[in-house]
Amino acid sequence: MKITDACVCPRPAGDSSVRRMALEAHELGFDSLIAVDTPSCEYAGVYVASGIVIRDVPVQEVASRVKRSKESCAIVSVQAGDNGRNRTVLGVRGVHILCGIHRTDRYAFDHVTAKIAADNGVAIDISLAPVIKERGVVRQRALDRYFDLILLCRRFEFPLVISTHARSVLEMRSVREFSALASVIGLDIPDVEQALLNAGRLQSPSSAVKVVQ
Amino acid sequence: MTSRPPTLREKRRYVLIRIEPAGTVPDQKELYFAVHEAVSSLWGDAAAALIHMAVVAAEGTYVIVRCRRGMERELAIALTTVTTCGGQRISLRTVATSGTIESLRERIAVMRAPDAAVVVPDECTIDGRRHTVSNCSGQKVDVIEKGFKNTTRFFLTREDLEDI
Repeated sequence: MKITDACVCPRPAGDSSVRRMALEAHELGFDSLIAVDTPSCEYAGVYVASGIVIRDVPVQEVASRVKRSKESCAIVSVQAGDNGRNRTVLGVRGVHILCGIHRTDRYAFDHVTAKIAADNGVAIDISLAPVIKERGVVRQRALDRYFDLILLCRRFEFPLVISTHARSVLEMRSVREFSALASVIGLDIPDVEQALLNAGRLQSPSSAVKVVQ
Repeated sequence: MTSRPPTLREKRRYVLIRIEPAGTVPDQKELYFAVHEAVSSLWGDAAAALIHMAVVAAEGTYVIVRCRRGMERELAIALTTVTTCGGQRISLRTVATSGTIESLRERIAVMRAPDAAVVVPDECTIDGRRHTVSNCSGQKVDVIEKGFKNTTRFFLTREDLEDI
């Protein structure tokens, strides 16, 4: 059972090294991190899982990119787009997380996509970055998308993960701050606990028992 | 003007926050504006008036923020959304909440215990650019690019410095 921040972006994308982020995550109460474009490692008692974010790629290419990333055993996140793209992406085997829902339009994630996500066990990412960094209309729109997402989650029970998408240690938040910020979008403490554990489960998915001879 | 008797005064709570990155000492007034903006943009003017926030003391990288009793949670959530102060990138970490400023001052004194002296190089080169070590505590090392403008701050560890 690992409490995990589902996405951080250390150097060179950000200004903090992966070791520093792991050190900070340990102080903030996390057991593991999913770090984009970083090899898996363990530092300061925090397990850093390798993550890949597939964005700005046509839907047709997503499957081949996911297949290529299977060798690295990384957690694969795909940027959400319009409704058609999301339905296709959620059906691709090997996709772990659909991220960036807050940037999509209202109809991009509906009851059909929610059911596909639940059936395939693909987690939907709630990024706290727009809640923390944005102001005004942009934040209101993100909050609106998250309210809708949580409504669908309660109905269809697809897994949720929560992330900061931190590019710096200054953008990382503690577990307590995660649950406080998540309460703004209507997630209560058991939901947040579940979402924080879901990212850890993606790293070691349960599979059917295999007979080894 | 006479002050109200204690039973008629409104109850307040004081929140102790630590400012990161270490060594950052922002102006108290600028910090007040940053927190006030965060509170009113997140909760709206009506709730901001109920929270009744004020920056009452700043001691180095620790700041004590006041709010009305019962509104600590709202204030703490708003504090997590503060990202800049006076053009400087910061992060506010809530440390403790108390009913008196005095008890928070005692906590600051406990937390300010000096670190063991660590030896790190004064300068390093990252991506071909020279950087100065600006802060070092325990394993954490912050470096700032040398120059007058557009200088970048990197957050590293001592092991990272050894690897570079």
